This record gives sequence, C-alpha cells and structure tokens, in this order.
Amino acid sequence: MFQQIFDAINIGIVILDKDMKVHGWNRWMEVHSGIAEHEIKGSSFFNTFPHLNNPKFVRSCKSVFSFGNFCFFSQKLHHHLFPFKTTSYADFRFEFMQQSCAMGPLRDENNEIKYLFIYVQDVTEVAAYEQKLLEINMRDGLTGIYNRRFLESKLSEEFNRHQRYGGVFSLVMLDIDFFKKVNDTHGHQCGDFILKAVSSRVASIIRNVDYLARYGGEEFCCLLPETGIPAALTVAERFRAAIEQQETNYDGEIIKVTISLGVSEFRKGIESAEMMVKKADEALYRAKREGRNKVVVMD
Amino acid sequence: MIKKLLIVDDSPIARKMLKSCLPKDQGFEFYEACDGKDGVEKYLSIRPDITFMDLTMPVMTGYEAIEEIMKHDKNALIIVVTADVQMKAITTVLDLGAYMVLRKPLKKEDLLAAIMKAQDTLQKVQ
Amino acid sequence: MMEIHENQILTSEEGEILQEIMNIAFGKSAADLADVIDTHVVLSIPFIKIMQVTELPMYIREHVKDYKKISIVEQNFWGRFKGDALLVFSSGSGKELIAMLQHGPGEISSFESDPIDILERETLMEVGNILIGACVGKLAELLKDVVTYTPPMVVVERYYTDALSERQFDVDKTAIVLKTDFSFTEGNVSGFLFLVTNNDSIKWLKEALRIFIEQYE
Repeated sequence: MFQQIFDAINIGIVILDKDMKVHGWNRWMEVHSGIAEHEIKGSSFFNTFPHLNNPKFVRSCKSVFSFGNFCFFSQKLHHHLFPFKTTSYADFRFEFMQQSCAMGPLRDENNEIKYLFIYVQDVTEVAAYEQKLLEINMRDGLTGIYNRRFLESKLSEEFNRHQRYGGVFSLVMLDIDFFKKVNDTHGHQCGDFILKAVSSRVASIIRNVDYLARYGGEEFCCLLPETGIPAALTVAERFRAAIEQQETNYDGEIIKVTISLGVSEFRKGIESAEMMVKKADEALYRAKREGRNKVVVMD
Repeated sequence: MIKKLLIVDDSPIARKMLKSCLPKDQGFEFYEACDGKDGVEKYLSIRPDITFMDLTMPVMTGYEAIEEIMKHDKNALIIVVTADVQMKAITTVLDLGAYMVLRKPLKKEDLLAAIMKAQDTLQKVQ
Repeated sequence: MMEIHENQILTSEEGEILQEIMNIAFGKSAADLADVIDTHVVLSIPFIKIMQVTELPMYIREHVKDYKKISIVEQNFWGRFKGDALLVFSSGSGKELIAMLQHGPGEISSFESDPIDILERETLMEVGNILIGACVGKLAELLKDVVTYTPPMVVVERYYTDALSERQFDVDKTAIVLKTDFSFTEGNVSGFLFLVTNNDSIKWLKEALRIFIEQYE
C-alpha cells in the first residue's frame, strides 16, 4: 500500500543496484525524462546518462555502497544531475530544471546495503527567485550598474585572492565635477539623467571582466582585475576624454559635464581593501584640487 | 600436534577475543605478550607452535617482531591478526615471512581453518 | 591510547573494547577508502578521550595549532549513536585534493565568479563526506547501528582561532572525543578527525559494547 507514495510524491526517485543497473524509476522520473520505467529498468544507468559516468559521481556511488553514507549534489554547485526541461514557462533564466539531489543507501533486513537511491527535487523556482533577489541586491536602482555593497564585496574578494596568490589589480574612482551646479540649475531630474548618461558611457568603455559601480551620490568606482597602474591610467584617461566629449540632450538643452578621477593599485604595503579605496579617493581629491577634468594616480 | 599458542597484542581485550574464538577442548596452552619486544622474548623462551601477531603495537611493532623472530627461527609459524587490511600491509608481512594474515574482527571459522592449515604445514616440516 | 577520567563514564574494560572496535573500524575504513578514492590513506590508531564539552574548543585548538590556516568539514550523524564529526584539514589541503582527485573543470559549474574557490570547497566537502562516512559508518556497523547524516558544512582556509571560535557545541555535559590523524600517501594532505558525541549516546554505547564483547565470552 505504501508503495503508492513512490509514484505519488513530487520528487524524482531512482534506485540503482551495485552493478549500476536501474532497479526503480518513479512516476516523476517518467514524466520529466519521457522514459517509462519498463524501458529503463534492468538497463545500465550510464547507458542513458553517460554524462554521469564521471569520477565524482562514481566515487559517490562507491562510497554509498561501501560506507552507507549520503552524498549531496546541491543546485548551487551542480545545477542539475538530470538534464530535464524546465516546467515553468514564465522564466527563461535556466535552460534546464534546477535540481537539488542526494543519494543514500537502501539496506535489507540484515542491514546489508543492496541498493542506492537518488532523489531529485525540482528547485528551479527557488533558484530563479534567489537569482533575481541577488541581482536586485547588487544593482543600483537608478543607473542599473552595480551598487556599492556589491563592489565592496567584490573588492574584498579580489583583495584576499591577491594576498594569497599575488598579482595586480586597480581601482578607478571618479566623480562628476560641479554636479551640485547641474542639480541647482536644471533640477534633480536632470541630475538623475546626467548620472545615467555618465554611467552608461563609462560602462560602454570597460571590459567584460571589469566592475563598474555607483559608489555614492555622483561618485563611481571601477574595479579592473589583472590590471596595473599604467593600463589603469590609460583606461581612466579614456573615461575622462569620453565624458568631456559627450553632449547630453536634456529637454532640448545640451548639457556637458566633466569628471575627475583617482587611480590606485594593489601593491605591497596596502593592507586592506579599504586602504585601496582610500588611496584612490585621495588621488581623486588631488585631481579636484588641481583643477578637475583630470586623472591622478596614487603616490 | 599444535599445543602452544602465543598471542602478541597490546590490547588485553583483543587477546581475550582471540582466545574466546578457539575451542576449549583441544588442550591448547596460551601464552600472552603485550608488545613486539615482549613477543620476541616470549617466543624465544617458549617456542610456541603458532604465534598470533598484531601489527600496530607500542615499543616494537608487529613488523619488527616478525623480522626478529624469523631471524632466529625461519620455520616460525606466525599468523598476523590485524585491523589494517590494506593490500600494502598484507604483502609487507608476507614478504617478511608471516605464514598468513587474518582480519579483525576475527571469525571463529577463519581461525579454525588457519590452525588446521598450520597443523598440515607443521606435519610436513616434521 | 586510552585516557579516561571525569568520574569514569566508561569502565576501563569498556574503554579497551571501544579502543579495539575503533582500531578495527578504522582499519576497514582505510582499506575501503583506498578503493573509493583510489589512493592509500593512512589512519592513525584512534585516540579516545572523555571531557567536558566546554574544554573541547581548547583541546581541538591545541591539536591544530601548528596549522596556520585550516579548513573544517562538519557533519552531524544520527542513529542511536549520534553526534558531530569535525574534520580539520591543514592549509592547502583543498588544492592538493583537487589535484589528487583530478576534478575536471567540466564537472562543476557555478554562478559564482571564482571557480577555484568553488572547486576547493566542493572537493573538501566531498572528501570530508567520504572520510566521515567511512569512519562513522564502520564504527556504527560494528556496533550494529545504522546512522544517517546531514549535508556537510564547510569552512575554507581560515585562521584556526577564527574558525574554531565560531563553533558552538552543545553544552550537554560530556563529550567522547575520538581523534585520529590521517594522511594521504599521494599528496601533502593531513588533518584530524574529531567525533563528538554527548550523554545521549553514552548509555547506548555502553550497551552496544556489552553486546559486542558477549560474542566472545
């Protein structure tokens, strides 16, 4: 009677014997794989799913049979064990159903392990929701580029990695000159328009691997991995020139702004991620003092 | 006939377990040693028919004890009783001259079969 | 190898039986591990110590202080024998293990941007899960128990003081600590395994030890 649960439950269940032949395949697996139990039962599991014949999966099976432990395949690391189509049409984020899977032992009445089971849970919706939240959480609402929190976490990650493995990376801090004047003369809506125009222009210049974030009001920060001062200086100079040449049309009026920039680099003596920001900030303020529309490198 | 049995193991429980696996009506005489060094000394003074030897022991390991005993008596019948069942351990002790290897936890049948086999070997030697 | 104080939670005979069972269990684990992960694993004779749970962080710290940084894999297990398994790896173990197990880059994909860190985490988790499963599983098997496990949690490459101060142990009065150190012959990986069980398990353990030795009386 309880056998019915096997097919009623909203979870995929696969049972394999010690020769890796399929012994059980529940209704859920039939529905999502399009393979009926009678078609797959008794056949070698790896014939149908050759991609799982990899060292990690095989080790996991051996370990379940020898020790009776459980092995886990999280969605975060594996995305899925079985390449099934997603059932939700609303979300095109994932090509395949996102799965959280685990395997464990099945014992006979003498406690001897005869089979292993794999259960498959569809976590696509949760994963999509989680990813959406993550994205909202790392973007600036106005400009759509990364926000300060995200940049700071990337920066500390990058910093820790460079402390461990060496190498170089740079930060460019930039600030719109006389932004208060824009706001006062043309209104805050125009100010927001300028912020968007500047950020999208700078974003169009950076490489795929760089991170551009809105750091504060009219201040932006760009993290350049694997880039030393000379190259970072060139990049910053390109930002400056691009904004200097840019003409923004707001309500029929042409508005031009300039930016000041400070550049810092990871090197010996810089003991924290915060110190890198501080060095770039100091350079930025020197650029302001020395007349604006200018790039200054940390000393 | 097999009469004198020497059990070399640092764990009194392990020695007790081994003894309990042997039949009570065969008139075996048991001798015990608590490490490899003690084992070698007892071997030389008692000259047992069979020596059961653990491998991981303080003062002198089972490996060293086997080597030492074989130096004095190349016909010594040493049955290694160990929890280390990796192939490397097994081949090493056989190379040193151990007669055979039994795995812990001991099974009565295995132990009896081992003694019977040792009995045959002993008769052939004599 | 046995050290018992704290008002004799186990009698000296029970302690000796437990030690012998541990020797057997770990011997079998090492052999089977060699088969599962294809490399020879050396497991030391387990050391058993009974202590107050409050002493535990200090005790573990004392054993890992030679490691500047450590990674920890932690897993709860429960059957009638239940507790917490802590596997402490020395610094750099994750990377050595990646090389040893030859994880192909195609086996793992992730949202996160740093594949090496993810791979390291995953590898520590996998090896930890197998090592803990082997040791706890064999021990339970000899005592005729069946245990299940929670998914492993992992802390990667932290200073040992930070990593351990975050641990919170059940303040349930007593802990049986079973400590073994392990090393892989291929590769520079070593560490300690601590099994921490509490009062609940002791009653069952005493009974299981009695049943085990009865076979030999």
